Amino acid sequence: MRIYHTVIRSLSKSFSAVTLAILISGFALQAQDGEKLFKANCASCHKIDKKLIGPALAGIEDRWESKENLYAWIKNSSDYLKNNSGDSYAQGLFEEYNKSIMTAQALSDAEIDAILAYVANPPASEAPKAEVAQLEGEPSEDYSTYWLLGLAAVLLLVIKVLSDVKHSLKSVEANMKDEKVKASQGFLVAALDWISANKKTTVALMVVILATMSVQGWFVLKDIGVYQGYSPEQPIKFSHKIHAGDNEIDCGYCHHSAYKGKNAGIPSVNVCMNCHAGISEGKVDGPVEIAKIYEAAGWDPEQNAYTKEQKPIKWVRIHNLPDFTYFNHSQHVVVGEQKCQTCHGEVQEFGYPMKQFAPLTMGWCVECHRETEVAMEGNAYYDKIHEELLERYKDKGIEKFSVEHIGGLECAKCHY
Amino acid sequence: MSDIKYWNSIDQLTEDPGFINESNKEFQEEIPVGEFLGNAKLSESTTSRRDFLKFMGFSLGAATLAACETPVTKSIPYVVKPEEVTPGVANFYASAVQRGGNFASILVKTREGRPIFIQPNDRFPAALRGMSPRVNSSVLELYDENRYMVPQKAGANVSWSDLDADVASKLMAIKAKGGNIALVTGSVNGPGAKAAVELFSAAFSVKKEMDSFDEFGEPVGKVTVDAGVTHVQYDAINTNSLAEANSWDFGTNAVPHYRFDKAKTVVSIAADFLGDWGNGASNSIGYAKTRVPSDNGMSRHYQFETNLTRSGSTADVRGAIRPSDVPNAVIALYNAVASKSGAAALAGGKIADDDNNVTAKIASAADDLWASKGNSLVVCGSENSAVQRIINATNQLLGNYGSTITWDQTYNVGLSSSKGMKSLINDMNTGAVDAVIISGVNPCYAVPGFAAALMKVGLKISLADRPDETSSVCDYVAPNHFFLEGWNDYEPITGVFALAQPCIKPLFKTRQAEESLLVWAGSSDDYYTHLKKTWEKELFPKQSNILLAEDFWNTSVQNGVVEIKTALKEGETLVAYRATDLAKVASGIQMTSGTWECQFYFKQSIGDGTQANNPHLQEFPDPISKISWDNYVSMNPSDMNSKGWETRTAQETPANLVNVTVNGVTLQLPVVAVPGQKVGTIGIALGYGREITGPAGKVGKNAYSCLTWNDSSLGYSSSDVSIEDAGATYEIASVQTHHTMMGRKIVNETTYSTYSSVDKNDEKNGWNKDVLLVDAYGKKKSTRELNLWQDHAIEKGHRWGMSIDLNACNACGACVTACHTENNVPVVGKDEIRRTRSMFWLRVDRYFSSDVTKQNADEQGMGVREMYRKMEDPSVYPQVSFQPVMCQHCNHAPCETVCPVAATTHSEEGLNQMAYNRCVGTRYCANNCPYKVRRFNWFNYNTDTMFAEVNPSQNDLMKMVLNPDVVVRSRGVIEKCSFCVQKIQAGKLVAKKEGRPLRDGDVTSACAGACATGAIKFGDLNDDQSAVRSKWSDSRSYHLIEEVGTQPNVAYLTKVRNIDTNA
Repeated sequence: MRIYHTVIRSLSKSFSAVTLAILISGFALQAQDGEKLFKANCASCHKIDKKLIGPALAGIEDRWESKENLYAWIKNSSDYLKNNSGDSYAQGLFEEYNKSIMTAQALSDAEIDAILAYVANPPASEAPKAEVAQLEGEPSEDYSTYWLLGLAAVLLLVIKVLSDVKHSLKSVEANMKDEKVKASQGFLVAALDWISANKKTTVALMVVILATMSVQGWFVLKDIGVYQGYSPEQPIKFSHKIHAGDNEIDCGYCHHSAYKGKNAGIPSVNVCMNCHAGISEGKVDGPVEIAKIYEAAGWDPEQNAYTKEQKPIKWVRIHNLPDFTYFNHSQHVVVGEQKCQTCHGEVQEFGYPMKQFAPLTMGWCVECHRETEVAMEGNAYYDKIHEELLERYKDKGIEKFSVEHIGGLECAKCHY
Repeated sequence: MSDIKYWNSIDQLTEDPGFINESNKEFQEEIPVGEFLGNAKLSESTTSRRDFLKFMGFSLGAATLAACETPVTKSIPYVVKPEEVTPGVANFYASAVQRGGNFASILVKTREGRPIFIQPNDRFPAALRGMSPRVNSSVLELYDENRYMVPQKAGANVSWSDLDADVASKLMAIKAKGGNIALVTGSVNGPGAKAAVELFSAAFSVKKEMDSFDEFGEPVGKVTVDAGVTHVQYDAINTNSLAEANSWDFGTNAVPHYRFDKAKTVVSIAADFLGDWGNGASNSIGYAKTRVPSDNGMSRHYQFETNLTRSGSTADVRGAIRPSDVPNAVIALYNAVASKSGAAALAGGKIADDDNNVTAKIASAADDLWASKGNSLVVCGSENSAVQRIINATNQLLGNYGSTITWDQTYNVGLSSSKGMKSLINDMNTGAVDAVIISGVNPCYAVPGFAAALMKVGLKISLADRPDETSSVCDYVAPNHFFLEGWNDYEPITGVFALAQPCIKPLFKTRQAEESLLVWAGSSDDYYTHLKKTWEKELFPKQSNILLAEDFWNTSVQNGVVEIKTALKEGETLVAYRATDLAKVASGIQMTSGTWECQFYFKQSIGDGTQANNPHLQEFPDPISKISWDNYVSMNPSDMNSKGWETRTAQETPANLVNVTVNGVTLQLPVVAVPGQKVGTIGIALGYGREITGPAGKVGKNAYSCLTWNDSSLGYSSSDVSIEDAGATYEIASVQTHHTMMGRKIVNETTYSTYSSVDKNDEKNGWNKDVLLVDAYGKKKSTRELNLWQDHAIEKGHRWGMSIDLNACNACGACVTACHTENNVPVVGKDEIRRTRSMFWLRVDRYFSSDVTKQNADEQGMGVREMYRKMEDPSVYPQVSFQPVMCQHCNHAPCETVCPVAATTHSEEGLNQMAYNRCVGTRYCANNCPYKVRRFNWFNYNTDTMFAEVNPSQNDLMKMVLNPDVVVRSRGVIEKCSFCVQKIQAGKLVAKKEGRPLRDGDVTSACAGACATGAIKFGDLNDDQSAVRSKWSDSRSYHLIEEVGTQPNVAYLTKVRNIDTNA
């Protein structure tokens, strides 16, 4: 059920986004190009309204004497400095920023114009914020309250029944002692009377109740230790949607060890800082969450330097295989050429908090090993094995082999 | 119906009233029901049965609900990840270690920065790439909480700056008054380490006049020397007497390189050269090469010794002699060789106590030596340098110098000087020493008399890395790094320079010992800079392969070793043997015999005692006696029978305690039967009885206290011995309680002459006949043809297999400890071992031969019962066989068919897999295993407080040594050898990722990787090119207990002894 909800919700979300995009695209073509160019070429060092590695760009055109000078400066600032020793503004900039040269940009005048146009009229950034805020508004499902309530109800019921039993037993005892027969009107006695009158109905009822409980119990027990959908709060509200989805950062940029070893690994803070040294405000929470990265890395955004104490981030682990299971990411990603999404879901669509997509049960692993064809061609390791398998399964007419056929269901492939 | 009356007892027959009364009762013993119920206190209790049940129900419910809660696991990545670390991927660093008189070049496996495994460094010269259990299990000691964590001053913590200020000022004060400083270390041979000691000596040197002596100890005038700092190198395990002999015979106080790989005949008198004589682990590599029969034949090895050693066990001919007969045996051998060469005979040479044909064996040894003149070796373990000089003379007569004994390389690990140690003790006693600095050795424990003398020294400084008997009495402790934390260099053999590099950041506030010396000497360099400068100055110019000094250093660090052969200079010659008055030398040898004699020895596991607090080593059973966790007196069972002492070592047969008095010092120890021990002698291991060490190390008694000084060396044997029954018994833990093969083909053996001349399937004399079973129709079939089960598809893909060459194996046990560390095998402690609950995945079985065999029992007219009874008894001086046994990964595994839950199954790669989490602990598999290699976890060894002292996985710090790729098994499951499936999977993955076929050598098991002699080979049997495949097709190959049809994936190679069949 939850999966359907999610699908419908994400479908409707993307529908509205598409509509919005079509509406905007009509009149903002140039600024769009400028935005793209700005993000690709300038954003790592410049902000529009704030000093970053380089100066804030707002009002840039007013500060330069001529547009030609500005073009020349942007295209190659060191040449410009050499050729225009008299430009006091340019020389002053050079001095102000610790004599660091701005990287030469291979841009045409038209492209620079587009950027300048974008800088002069940056679009308001409210729209996406609202969208994500809506996303954040999703109630996070926490079952523990329901469990507690249910338990309390059961307990109350038990207490009630027990006190009734006690009460009637007492009265029975009193009756026996007094040898008087009182017409007791207790609930229990009435219930017993009803039961003795409707024996067949009672038996049928009991059977139904028992069967329902068994079935329910079976499913509850089966889910013990299965944390599909587990999405704990994290110390930083990191959204895969913003990074892997909107900004299309490759999974391997942060989780590079998935290609090398058994752990995909949570990236170390210095990987975050590769980009976030320049990006100090997020779309959703502004500077709040990114400031936590700076805190961890010991980065002082005012001075643009690592001056403070480093404090590692304590993420809450989501995917947690038991100790007796060996799993190697590189086996699946590099050799098996599996996409991350196969096991982790469409992560680029997941906002905060990240959740466990797959059940990670042995049955789930085994099913995939049964169905997934091994791409043996092009990997010399499998050449001999492939030939032998073709020979062995000739009679059965199997020509494509799944992981199962190369022993992927054997215990000691994962348990040792 | 018959009226026969059956009766159980006389009482029943006679209808004794007492019996009738008793027989009416269900329980013979009175059950105190009334007493229990009548207890008034119980009825006063306010807790009724119903309440109790209510509580029970509630707690059950609560516990169930609590168990369902998601455990929150934190995942904490690096802030700045080191470039070389990828979580989940191991890094390897080449390094080296020299401790306790042994050197090893090692490759350290680290995971996320933690060293977890030590294996031989494959860039080190193959002939010297030895590995011993002491080395590969030492990774545990890094995480020992017992280590010094901060510097100490008079037992209290102190900062490094305070310590340095104190020590430097005190040392300067001593120098100012012209005082003496003694520096006591093990062998220092690395150029950087030597330079550090020299810098220190120079900083505190004072000029002085000293006496000099000639070869017989007569004073010959005076010389002026740089005194002030006396550097005494001393290791308990040393080749000091040999070096001293060489200083007279060759004019150089050194030990040459003994080339066991070139020797066709090896004669050893009291030298356990596979153990602690010289570099045993390396010697065994060359030795094993000549022991594997090939077209070039096979070497012959004679061993004359008191205790049964591993060298003696692998020898073709062994003669048991008393320690007091060692000089006689040496002279007898010299005389026998001399008679062939025409040299003059020496006086003496009669074996006084010869109950083992030693005289005849020495004669035939001499014959063989002479026949292989120039390709033979004679070695001796005597601490008497005069005896060593006769051995030198024997080798000279045989022309061995220059061929099997070469002086172009010397063995530099045995620089130990007993003479220096003895004079230091004298000087300390006379008050001539003002300060003593002790590094890497523990003389208060290992040298009798040192502790008392040390107390007379004003300033005592220890550079130990963990508390020991010496450091605990020192004024200052400047704790050293563990060898995995610091830089160092060694030159174990001339021209082979090894570098040790840190594999982990120091865990505690420690500092490299050499750096402490540099600091006190006022040097501004740290030890790393010092080493690098020394290497650039001394070694870089001597080589021409690398042009830049920086590259040279980096390459050396990466490889862990650099070989620099220095050619002889113009006009320079190697040392030559100097003719000497041998008769005078021989006449100086004094040996007294005693009723009882004692030979002290070093255990393969504990060594000199440095590593006593290492649970893996304590648990490692002695290769000969198979006793674990104990120190004992070894005695020949025939001697013990005459005293009426228990010769068995089973759970229900505790050993007898005896009071042994050696040289006036009495030790109370259990006595254990070791066949092969010379009758009338006992053996006691040194290295036990450590008092100041961690909880696992306090085992046994300190036998060093029995040693006495001979002329200039500590005597490791004694004739002043008495033994008496202490009237008590002592529980002893042994991993093997049966000692003979009872006529079965367990270790298949043959002689070299049979092997080389007879077909293995020869009708009459076949020495490795194919196992054929008779089917229902009387047809003979191989076990492959005659079987009940369907075959697994093992012929396709990989098929993992192993071969074990019993000729190359000398039971060093490096495989056992490697397996332990790699696979997180729990240590269980003495009491569990005693209950036969050891957890070894890999064990090395040891078998003794018996006087009674099936053949000779027939001839003697022995009945079957008597025959089997007597076959259980080993001979007085038996032949010994070793056999490493692990899971044989049977293709028709008896364990797999009986598992009710399919927890153990077969893989198509031939592995017998064990899914721990599926196992419910019925132990049917263990019962059905003919090899007895399956181990049951009786306890949670990793959490049960009962094992807190022995099990490394209990301690937060020591947990770091666990291999993260292998699960730590829980209570109630069976575990066993997995053929290191984690390494198989990892090796395959590397090949897959690189897109290439798997090559032989990509996958190896921990045991095969640790096996220096190459006895264990592991690989893919379906790969035509693999080493294991070629071993399988050797004619010596056979399978253990093949006749039961298990079809194992492990093959053994028949042990061939090079003995005359009629001898």
